[in-house]
Amino acid sequence: MPLIRGRRGSVAPGATPPPVLDDPDPESRWAAARALAGQADAVPELAAALRHETVPRVREAILTSLMRIGGSASAEAIVPCLRSEDAGLRAAAIEALQALPSAIAPMMAQLFSDPETDVRLLATELARNMKASDATRLLCDLIEHEPHPNVCAAAIEVLAEVGTPEALPVLERCSVRFALTPFLPFAISMAIARISGAEG
Amino acid sequence: MDDRDDGGSRAVRISSEEVERFCDFLYRRTGLSLSEGKRYFIDRRLEERIAATGSPSFRAYFSLLRADADHEIEFLINSFTVNETYFYREDHQLRCMTSNLLGTIVRQRPSGSTIRIWSIPCSTGEEPYSIALWLMENWPQVDNHNIEIVGSDIDTRALTAAANGIYGDRALMRLSRVIVDRYFKPIADGRHEIDEGLRNSIEFTRANVIDPKDMARYRDFDLIFCRNVLIYFDDASRRQAAENLYDCLRPGGYICLGHSESMSRISPLFSVCRFPDAIVYQKPEADHG
Repeated sequence: MPLIRGRRGSVAPGATPPPVLDDPDPESRWAAARALAGQADAVPELAAALRHETVPRVREAILTSLMRIGGSASAEAIVPCLRSEDAGLRAAAIEALQALPSAIAPMMAQLFSDPETDVRLLATELARNMKASDATRLLCDLIEHEPHPNVCAAAIEVLAEVGTPEALPVLERCSVRFALTPFLPFAISMAIARISGAEG
Repeated sequence: MDDRDDGGSRAVRISSEEVERFCDFLYRRTGLSLSEGKRYFIDRRLEERIAATGSPSFRAYFSLLRADADHEIEFLINSFTVNETYFYREDHQLRCMTSNLLGTIVRQRPSGSTIRIWSIPCSTGEEPYSIALWLMENWPQVDNHNIEIVGSDIDTRALTAAANGIYGDRALMRLSRVIVDRYFKPIADGRHEIDEGLRNSIEFTRANVIDPKDMARYRDFDLIFCRNVLIYFDDASRRQAAENLYDCLRPGGYICLGHSESMSRISPLFSVCRFPDAIVYQKPEADHG
């Protein structure tokens, strides 16, 4: 059977020593970030690199390594990215933080009271991967006090997937408060139907 | 949510709103997209999992699922996907390999260079052998190139079985009689042993797709089949695996995932390539980002 020619020993030899995160070559920084995955003591180094890294692929690798390490230190390293001017980095940070629900949970109250509307709005997505009761409590607390309709709308969208019936009175009050905002009462009615229907 | 008494057996009734919530979750978590048109299919599988976990209601089951208690996501995905493996499984991707991918790969390479194909995880060998069989049967240029096929898995027992190359009728169900007669030899107990030349043409090795050190031993593949494994990992592990696979590919190399998996939902590292037979993912030729 000569048509396919297998070659023994085609597996490459061991990897070269990992380079450093401040190397001028992005390939080296990519390799360095990947080599630090799961090393808990590397969080400060990864956090510092994340602040300065401009190459999206290397940033992804830094975030993956922080996700693999996990815990509050990793979450704290990623949270400042929610304020970035770079939409790609903000989205990447949300994805990374969603993978760390228990680490991010204690920071949610602070994020939901952030003076920046965009930060509060983005933070609603972080509740999506949390336990339904925790997500409902956090999002309801936000909605009760949130002045901006877009932030409420984002929270309601998450509640529509994960919310429990405890959210229903909060949603009804929100609908009254924003009765003149065209899209919110509709979004709320959809969320109420879903949560109520889910409860049967 | 209410329960119904269905001829003496109690089954959980699932509302439309619950199905919507479930479908949203499943899509976000796995990329599996199910529509209302598949309602009967969804209900049946959900009812099975609700019963199997002893959940009293959809709501209870959904909480358990979201928390991934007792690896319930894996059990759920298993119930929505075909898990047994067999020759020529998802053969539309094999067709894509010979109709589109290999032509692009060889055009960009010096004549006489070796094409490297990797099946990971390869389980008991059906996939790497299928790749070899398909190439010999369907790629006219097969004699003009050096082709290396590597099959890797974390399970060394599976690798031993792969190297032995002995299969029952069920694994061969998608192969024509002509191909079975050409490449397999009947042995005892109605089983079939794959041709020795084919057995020797594939290198079987142990590798863990989420271990960067393990994966650093594998480089310069043109095409990777990594099907129906990433779906079982958590987000961080999936990203780690995607980055590992990225490093294992040559620039311009392709990766094929299972039908229920989407690289776009895992990592932005790869470009999406839509071919008539399959959607595959490509490592950019020159990646400055």
